[in-house]
Formats: sequence, C-alpha cells, structure tokens
Amino acid sequence: MSSTVRVLLFATAREAVGRPAVDRPVPATGVTLGALLDDLAREHRRLAPVLRVSRFVRNGRYVRGRSARVRPGDEVAVHPPFSGG
Amino acid sequence: MSAELTTRPISVARVVAALADPPSGGVVLFLGRVRADRVGGRTVRALFYEADPTVAARRFAALEREAVRRYGARKVRVVHRVGRLPVGAVSVVVGVAAPHRAPAFAAARFLIERLKREVPVWKTERTGRAPRARRRRPPPRRRGGRRSG
Repeated sequence: MSSTVRVLLFATAREAVGRPAVDRPVPATGVTLGALLDDLAREHRRLAPVLRVSRFVRNGRYVRGRSARVRPGDEVAVHPPFSGG
Repeated sequence: MSAELTTRPISVARVVAALADPPSGGVVLFLGRVRADRVGGRTVRALFYEADPTVAARRFAALEREAVRRYGARKVRVVHRVGRLPVGAVSVVVGVAAPHRAPAFAAARFLIERLKREVPVWKTERTGRAPRARRRRPPPRRRGGRRSG
C-alpha cells in the first residue's frame, strides 16, 4: 500500500523543483491539496509564485480550490499556464 | 477524428491522408512552427515542449467533438509534437475536412485558438545556454544613490 502522493510537475513548476515528479508522504486520512502544496512550496521557494498561477489535477481531473482532499496513492499534477501551439 | 502527441516530426501528408472524406470539399490545415524569438537579448534556437498526456488527450477529444458540433466539420486531426524542437520545426498541425471552405476555416481557427488556451502543453525557450528559467537571477541589490544618465 502506498503511503505517498505523487506530484507531477510541468514546465515552470518542474524547473522550480528541479524534478518532474516528487512523492510526498501523507497520512492515511489524507490532507488538503492546499496543505500538500504549502508544504512543497516551503521546501522549494521558487515554486510558490508558480503555484499561485497554476491549476491542479487530481487523478486526471481538475479540482477547484485547494480544499480538495488527497489521499495516499493519489496523483496530483501542477499545471502552470499553458503555452502550447 | 483523432488527436495525438508525438516526439517525432509531424508528417503533414499523413494528416491530409487521415482527412480523406468524399463529402468534404474543403480541407484546411494550420501549421505552427518554432519561431526565432529574441529572449533576453539572445535568439531562441529551439523550444522544449512538454504535455500532460492524460489531460491533454481528454481536452483534445472534447475540442474535436465541439468542432464537429459547432461547425459541421466531418473530419478533424490534431497532432502536437513534444520534446526539443529547433527553430522552423512544425510543433502543431490542425487539420479539418468539411463540406465547404467556410466551416473548414472556422473549425481550424477554433481548434488552434482553444488548443492554446485549454490543452496542457507548455514550451520553454532554449537559447543555446541553460533554459530561460534557470538563468534568472535575483535583482541586483541597490546600494547608495542611482547611476545618472
């Protein structure tokens, strides 16, 4: 059983952390998305401004706000503003 | 109808072949290419494209369905390249086949505009040195008075 949440980081979020993904330990009861991201931003200070303009995906679906709960085994993706084309 | 992310050069001929459809008298193609922009006094030599494939696939599919519904496009094909692309390389191709030219143009325009806003694809400049974000430095500390002139 996984006790971590995988956070996928794209573009400026990846550059701020230096890796395309990080695994964060979370309690079995889960944490809010906001708490998970705040924790990550404390460790990677360049990530904070990126998170302020990003959207977030939990298990393949966009979530609104930061109160959504993430539990062990979940996957969260950080999507900075898009720039494809 | 289909969309695709690929790390390989996009074959325009294959996109056109995928749009074969006897009732469609109009085919419109949009090609996006890597532009040699100036960034921080240096000329971009390449762009690095990346995507979130799971979410991108879903958004592509939704946009294609909408292009069909809104404009009556009969066939739609979108291919976006990811990875390191040199200046001049084709990064995206949008192809639409419709019975007449007006809906084909409208649907192609719709697709590329919405793709840029709604599909999780990102590009980072490569100027031949380190990536742009890594070259950022904190602003210089102000000491004493300003330089004149």
